[in-house]
Amino acid sequence: MSETVQLFVTCLIDSFFPSIGEAMVRVLNRAGARVEFPSGQTCCGQPAFNAGLRGEARPLAEHTIEVFERTSGDIIIPSGSCAAMVRHGYSELFRDDPAWLRRAEKLAERTHEFTEYLVDVRGLTDLKARWTGKLCYHPSCHLLRGLGVDRQPRALLEAVREGEIVPLPEREDCCGFGGVFSVEHPELSEEFLKRKIGNFESSGAPTLVVADTGCLMHIEGGLRRRGMSQRVVHIAEVLDSR
Amino acid sequence: MKIKDFRRGARQSLRDENLQAALDNNAQRRKEGRLAAITSLPDFAERRQRAHAVKAEVVANLEENLDRFVERVTANGIQVHKAADAAEAIRIFLEIAQAEKTGHLRPDAGSVPLLVAKAKSMLSEEIHFNHALESAGMRVVETDLGEYIIQLRGERPSHIITPAVHLRRADVGRLFAEKLDLPYTEDIPTLTNAARKALREVFLGADIGVSGVNFGVAETGTLCVVTNEGNGRMCTTMPRVHVALMGIERLVRSMDELALFLSLLPRSATGQKLSVYTNLINGPLPGTGQRRHLILVDNGRRALRDSALIESLYCIRCGACLNACPVFRETGGHAYGSIYPGPIGSVISCGLVDREYASLAQASSLCGACREACPVDIDLPGMLLRVRSGLIPEAASAEGKAARIQEGAGLPLPVRLGLKGFRLVAANPGVFGFFLRLGGLLSRLYSPCRAYMHIPRWTGWGYSKEFPRLAVRPFRDKWEQVEQEVAETGDTVKAIPEAVDSGQNQTGSGLSLVERFTEELTALGGKAYKVRMEDLPGRLGELLKSRDISQVLADDAGAKYLGDISTVRELDPSIRAGVTGALAGIAESGSLVLVSGEGQTLTASLLPEMHIAVLKVSAIVAGLEEALRKPELWTSAAGVIVTGPSRTADIEMTLTIGVHGPGELHVFLIDDSMTVR
Repeated sequence: MSETVQLFVTCLIDSFFPSIGEAMVRVLNRAGARVEFPSGQTCCGQPAFNAGLRGEARPLAEHTIEVFERTSGDIIIPSGSCAAMVRHGYSELFRDDPAWLRRAEKLAERTHEFTEYLVDVRGLTDLKARWTGKLCYHPSCHLLRGLGVDRQPRALLEAVREGEIVPLPEREDCCGFGGVFSVEHPELSEEFLKRKIGNFESSGAPTLVVADTGCLMHIEGGLRRRGMSQRVVHIAEVLDSR
Repeated sequence: MKIKDFRRGARQSLRDENLQAALDNNAQRRKEGRLAAITSLPDFAERRQRAHAVKAEVVANLEENLDRFVERVTANGIQVHKAADAAEAIRIFLEIAQAEKTGHLRPDAGSVPLLVAKAKSMLSEEIHFNHALESAGMRVVETDLGEYIIQLRGERPSHIITPAVHLRRADVGRLFAEKLDLPYTEDIPTLTNAARKALREVFLGADIGVSGVNFGVAETGTLCVVTNEGNGRMCTTMPRVHVALMGIERLVRSMDELALFLSLLPRSATGQKLSVYTNLINGPLPGTGQRRHLILVDNGRRALRDSALIESLYCIRCGACLNACPVFRETGGHAYGSIYPGPIGSVISCGLVDREYASLAQASSLCGACREACPVDIDLPGMLLRVRSGLIPEAASAEGKAARIQEGAGLPLPVRLGLKGFRLVAANPGVFGFFLRLGGLLSRLYSPCRAYMHIPRWTGWGYSKEFPRLAVRPFRDKWEQVEQEVAETGDTVKAIPEAVDSGQNQTGSGLSLVERFTEELTALGGKAYKVRMEDLPGRLGELLKSRDISQVLADDAGAKYLGDISTVRELDPSIRAGVTGALAGIAESGSLVLVSGEGQTLTASLLPEMHIAVLKVSAIVAGLEEALRKPELWTSAAGVIVTGPSRTADIEMTLTIGVHGPGELHVFLIDDSMTVR
């Protein structure tokens, strides 16, 4: 039985990494979900919300609620921080507005992060994916601590054929992205990034897997600046590979 | 603007290799210590939630709890004073000092300045206590080793638990060589001993002892003061006058709640099951003429309670969020400017110190490691977000500053404008799609070959990383194609029931209470000997003789066992050993419970370099909860839970045994279980 789900692809994947979105659709399809893409979607409002500009975040949150309210089924987001924004951030944003708060809470109930949906809702860990070579998983802060999702992506990766999962030292340390933090505090962000890249390098894996595009572009950008050959991929791309 | 100062301070910190090494050391050791300590508490997660719930209730009914507490404290014979702000707290203290000086301490009111011995108190830093007292002509000496070091350097603490965390042993060596006339050394025990000597004179000569309060217990009026070195005990025991400074929110309701918080605070702060000295103060020490005062300070706390930042009042000042914070690890405490650094500091500083500090909330990547480390589960990232959005306490009317602070205070203008522009674009899907395509095209022109573009350093991002090119065809333009493609493939995978995570089995240690007590005490560097009652005087004599000690300070219980060993009952600083009884032992932490009352128990267990305690095996209880239910702990003037020999880790996190309290702790366990049927 296939179930209809709504894809909230996130503005980062929409604009920078559409291929991750494509991979995700294929994986969801294989998992038995019929994917729909509400075309009115833009951004959940997280960047402004996290920066403290709630006045700027609110219109985008309202827009997102309006777009997805017109649909039915689970809403799947391939990013821990955007999913955390919809699940927890919205109830904070509308804490003084009961009408919007109710609508936000309804939306939150339907919202799942991608790996969480596959494992907890669909009950799947083995997606018959195949990946040659070592993989190392970096748990993004908002996915790990904001949503408490860690077991799920690890279980999905463990089931990948031929792939060898190696541990990432100091895995739970922040990579230094942090939204506007990466721009606002370049020196501090660099220190976090250096440490993350050093730990990744020492893992011996050529590929780092993440489930959040913010961390992906941050760490990958750091690797490229240093001329390193290691790469960062989104977990949807790993699960999509056959 | 405070955030600009922070950025400058952070850059300075990053350039300071010495500081970086010290901070890395701190982060690593504290994280490991905390993890090991919370693993020893199988129901840690549940306790953490309970602690959060208790604090929520206490703070929600703060006035009632305060009234009850004040009533009990007053009934216990401690004078209570209430201060609305820093200035009033200082004024009250100066009045107390003046009255005590003319009334009791120095009736001659001579010109010698009053000497104030001070234990660690963050509240005193918050209200600029030392500066005010010095301006009033008093001499104030910090007696916590870390605080002493930074006071000698003319600095302020850089961490709320380990104030000198930014310094390395060589810094302290140079400082002591200059200020204490000590030949330069990097040997930490030698440095610690030099401080011990210098401060011993202060303890014995001080007119007034000042301490903070970790917890006030409303139902009993008990003040709980936690220290490791023994300086807190000295400041609250030796001087004729003790003044305690306490924030109005530092309350629990019962001894059971105190036990809950004491199981969390030392584990989170220093990785200890219990701090070496957990002092429980109920009233002035009898027969000493001692007087105690309590100054309850608001200084912005009620305003925090009435604001969206109410949860920040649940803080027990353990410093775990500082140790877990990746920003603090790079910058240290001084970069923040406020006396409260790190994640909790960036929340409360705008309420307790200066509204301008609201912009410090920008100094975070919102990674959430702080909340994970918090033993009271304060939603620190959530609080930081509220501060960022300007949801801070209303300005005090006297200040005359703008009542509301701008959203996103401290955000650089280009970022602010960028986010505003982004909102205008993203609020309309058509415009959004247009700009995505335009961006894709422009970035393709800027970087035709490379998927990641080199962008300049001034952009912030370009400082250390390349930036990805926008896609020429965003996902929205590819959707139809993808949808069609997947519709044509039919392979799906089936769910296989997942194995259910089984909870980890806990293995009980299987040790008897006395075995567990002995194991824990030994691990802390103490010694335990099981002896028969009739052998005790002989064994005691042997131990003392082996150390060439012929005279001891003893309390009533201790004196009983000493046979023909010469004892003194009066305070004499030259005595090297103290012998006391003990009310109880705590198996889970290897602790002794001592109370004032029968003789000089508290001084005999504090002043000499060696403390010998006699403990009946039947008096060993399993845990802290049980121990704190003993009525003696709130009916006697003061009590202390001693957990190992006096220690410090204030220099480079290096554990040093024997600071102000005894460096040796011997416990004679008398097996009385056979005599009772």
